[in-house]
Amino acid sequence: MGLRLRFLLPLALLLTGILVYPLVFAGWISVHDYQLTRLSDIRFTGAENFTDTFRNPNFWNALGNTLIFVLGAVSLELVLGLALALLVQRLDRARHLARSLLLAPMFITPIAVGLLFRFLLNAEIGVIPFLLRGVGLSIDWFGPQLALFSLILIDTWQWTPFMFLMFLAGLESLPRSPFEAAEVDGASRWSQFLHLTLPLLRPVILVALIIRSLDAFKVFEYVFAITRGGPGTSTETIQYLIYQTGFRFYRLGEAAAMAFVLVAVTLVLVFLLYTVLRRS
Amino acid sequence: MNRRPSRAARLLTELGVTLALVLVLFPFVWILATSLKPAELVADPGRWVFAPTLDHWREVLLRTEVPRNILNSLIVGLCTVGIALLVGCPAAYALSRSRRSGPLRFSILSAEMMPPAILILPFFLLFYRLGLIDSLAGVVVTHLTLVVPVVTWFLIGFFDAVPRELEEQARIDGCSVFGAFFRILLPTIRPGLGAAAVFGFVLSWNDLFYALILTGGESRTLPVAIAGFWTFRGIEMGKMAVAILLAVVPVLTLSFFVQKHLVRGLGGGAVKM
Repeated sequence: MGLRLRFLLPLALLLTGILVYPLVFAGWISVHDYQLTRLSDIRFTGAENFTDTFRNPNFWNALGNTLIFVLGAVSLELVLGLALALLVQRLDRARHLARSLLLAPMFITPIAVGLLFRFLLNAEIGVIPFLLRGVGLSIDWFGPQLALFSLILIDTWQWTPFMFLMFLAGLESLPRSPFEAAEVDGASRWSQFLHLTLPLLRPVILVALIIRSLDAFKVFEYVFAITRGGPGTSTETIQYLIYQTGFRFYRLGEAAAMAFVLVAVTLVLVFLLYTVLRRS
Repeated sequence: MNRRPSRAARLLTELGVTLALVLVLFPFVWILATSLKPAELVADPGRWVFAPTLDHWREVLLRTEVPRNILNSLIVGLCTVGIALLVGCPAAYALSRSRRSGPLRFSILSAEMMPPAILILPFFLLFYRLGLIDSLAGVVVTHLTLVVPVVTWFLIGFFDAVPRELEEQARIDGCSVFGAFFRILLPTIRPGLGAAAVFGFVLSWNDLFYALILTGGESRTLPVAIAGFWTFRGIEMGKMAVAILLAVVPVLTLSFFVQKHLVRGLGGGAVKM
């Protein structure tokens, strides 16, 4: 065991330095009136930053936007990723090529994806509105009604490949014999999918859902690249609000309080997701 | 599964995959076209036929800071991944081989889900005091918070797949624990090391949030530079297209080599291949 410890020690020390220490420091910041513009005058204020956060309508708005974004994007990605994995699994030719190409979006830096779609969907110079006008459709992708939905679609474009990758690997490793038995019993494809494929895939679905949801909570780049929170505050997400509060308005104490609430919300949701999916 | 799919079903499958491919590849085609379009045509969505020009490429490579930004991103990525492997590799091995590692594995995963929004505040203040704002060292430290947990998580999955008998045999043959680790285990999981390194590098290379707040001027990384191309002016859009391609092509090329190892790594041993 002494040797195991020696193997673990460097990691433990590093994580203490780069995670535990900053978290404690962030906790300290969150109970102080800590403003970058007034570093000489930092006062202990107890839970005031937290009560301010809970009373701040912008915070609830951003939290709501983030939740809608996460739920919308992750469920779209789940359905599309599963459908795509089922399709590609049944492909007879060029399967590896198709897989490699379909994975491409998940490796691109999100700021580039954001800018790409900012121009592709722009009402005046974008190719997609241009093509849609050709069939008589006029959609204001970044208007007040659709902006958040457009960000969801962009996230779906970038991250469906991740779900697809996980599910395709899951499908390829499924045992053969239950399917052969079902085949003999004359079960339809649909009932095979419902009663065999889905239950057998559940562990993979669970892991993929958790990883993706955690990641989607951190959405920042698309907002920064495209809407900067607008129109109004209709696309302001939590991570963007914290960035604004901390580094545009220099109110670090308040930003830290918001960040802690975000961590709490994330943990609760992941825990719920985990228990629900485990039990069913 | 033995039932032969009908011709119609096969056609439908191929149609569906083709549609997905078009949706995925279209933005890539557009960005490539934009990088080659003459500046005055860039803002014209209807123009698909034009005489290609390398003006934007020449401009970006010779007269902007982008090559410098690329170098910065490269330095940050390589340092981050190097440190992450050095620290994560032995730890992943120890975690994979100990029986009651559940809580520890979970703590690695929870490190992975820590939102950058909470870590950036203390880091910013710390670096401000230490004079590390606008330096690459600061970015490396923050990127370690992204990369170290992921690399360790990745490698646990690969170590789990190596049978214990392998190192037991090596011990019988007279290897020390360290000897078995370096001479037998590491070479066995080489594909895993490569995949973890590439994935970690991509995470660092693609990060905007930390670099945006911690760098400026000469120390800007490539994503921060790309974020600067925000206007709709034709000249800027052409340059943006080039910068995006410069950010995307290296990562895509690397990714092709490690794709088949990604699933085991991402699942961290939770998903069997």
